[in-house]
Amino acid sequence: MKLLSILCMGVLLSLPLQANELLTELAPNASTATSSDPLTTLPDRQAALPAVEKKATDEYLQPAPLADIPTGAFGDKVRLGYKLFVNTQQLRDKYVGNELNCVNCHMNAGIKANASPLWAAYFAYPAYRKKNDKVNSFQERIQGCFSYSMNGKAPASGSPELVAISAYSYWLGMSGLMAKYNVAGPVPELSDVELVKGAKRDDFPMPKAISEHLDVTALSQLPGRGFPKTPQPELAYSPVRGMTVYQAHCQVCHGEDGQGQMIAGIAALPPLWGPQSFNWGAGMHRVNTATDFIYENMPLGKSIQLTVQQAWDVAAYVNSFDRPQDPRFKGDVSKTQATYHQHQGYYGQSVAGNPILGSESYPVFPLKKSVKQ
Amino acid sequence: MKTSFYLFGILLSLPMCNVMHVNASETSSQQVIPAAAQLCTSCHGAQGQGMGVVGPRLAGLSAEYINNQLTLFQTGKRQNPTMLAMAATVQGDNIALVSEYFSQQAVADIPLQFRGDKVAISDPFEALAFQGDWSRVIPACTSCHGPSGVGGGQFPRLAGQEVSYLKTQLLSWQNGTRKGDVDNMMGNIAVKLTAAEIDGLSEFFANIK
Repeated sequence: MKLLSILCMGVLLSLPLQANELLTELAPNASTATSSDPLTTLPDRQAALPAVEKKATDEYLQPAPLADIPTGAFGDKVRLGYKLFVNTQQLRDKYVGNELNCVNCHMNAGIKANASPLWAAYFAYPAYRKKNDKVNSFQERIQGCFSYSMNGKAPASGSPELVAISAYSYWLGMSGLMAKYNVAGPVPELSDVELVKGAKRDDFPMPKAISEHLDVTALSQLPGRGFPKTPQPELAYSPVRGMTVYQAHCQVCHGEDGQGQMIAGIAALPPLWGPQSFNWGAGMHRVNTATDFIYENMPLGKSIQLTVQQAWDVAAYVNSFDRPQDPRFKGDVSKTQATYHQHQGYYGQSVAGNPILGSESYPVFPLKKSVKQ
Repeated sequence: MKTSFYLFGILLSLPMCNVMHVNASETSSQQVIPAAAQLCTSCHGAQGQGMGVVGPRLAGLSAEYINNQLTLFQTGKRQNPTMLAMAATVQGDNIALVSEYFSQQAVADIPLQFRGDKVAISDPFEALAFQGDWSRVIPACTSCHGPSGVGGGQFPRLAGQEVSYLKTQLLSWQNGTRKGDVDNMMGNIAVKLTAAEIDGLSEFFANIK
């Protein structure tokens, strides 16, 4: 009873935050970090992932099959991008600090529509941000993924890894557009410098047969981009109800303790919380973002199965456990919360009478051997 | 009390165990066959190594999985005339004991293939195994069954399993005579597979040894 009332109070407390999120973007002092570490020079790029309206009439881009990736140096970059995306553990301890792989959330190797596909993201960057009047290139967005979702350390700008993931994303998107608008020939090759910028720019070399149908803005909003926005729940989301949903539908794959399914030394099925999952700076720790992902994409191979309410509740449950610290944390949980967590999430809060989330968080970018399994 | 029961079982199986030592071609971490598992070995092999079409390989399956399957046979969620009768002979604590025994038997070391190791995969069944076919919302087999399909937890090992068994199981998932997974996840995938894919996938995984 006590537990229930604490949780109810938590939900009530979080309601104003939910409303706030719609009005405020990110905290004003986000760009004051002085370190050159990408972790702290990228504090401002974790706006909510796009949640977009899904229409029955949406037609999604169909990238060419992987067998069509050309031979040669450019094709090699595309192939490396695919490999890193599917098996990101190749970068463990170099740039990755947890057991996740990009493909865990970006289903079908970043190709599946409505699972934040790479082909749509590529045309949405560079993105201009009013607040800092700064352009964030595609590679800078990927750097954010390494810092937060992968609980690691961002590869340097222009590094082979970022060039490769950019090349793979570009190739998926451009091959899909070329097929749709009957542009013959191979995907035009781009230099590394061009590749990492992204395609939302007027000087991007877009074949006329495509640009006469879709301008830069239309390309940045391709159907299937991001995760579809889940309708609001009837009741305020509740981790207590979410636990029941989790046990019935999720734990067979993700484990009762949320630590996924380790097979042959790798997380065949990903950990959802704890030291081996995404950190408190990742977009997926937001209850709304996790809801959008879960509702559309889980369980694996089935897609929409949970009710809207179940999706919200289970997203709240998953995100009510501790995980690696927010890399922007400077020693004060309440300050970090006030600055970066004015949204639907549990950072800085106590759930079910447990310690305040963030106060005992796991390390950022730990070496694999140092993490207790 | 329980301990003495176990001891009794071990004592009973000792003479048989000696025979096994002589015949064993592979080493395994547990040689003593529990009494309750004796009957199983006549079709599944003394070390759960499988006996062709007679019985599938149990070695390499997790205790958790074997335990669950015994229960599913007993409750009819998995239908097989032979196993309906056989599973009934294993009850109570013996379920865990038998599951533990077979789960500890050795399997051959195989080179592991991870998702992403290959980009363009020309063999359509290998492609299904490692990349799935998302145009039909079929995820890669190895995304749950692990690298090379070696399995873990509630996901059975597919690598090196008897080909006839793999085929029968995919067909059973398809026609609903095998159930018992959460949310019919496997049934939902099996119904999307063509007959040729069921044959091809069975061959593909059976040949990983």
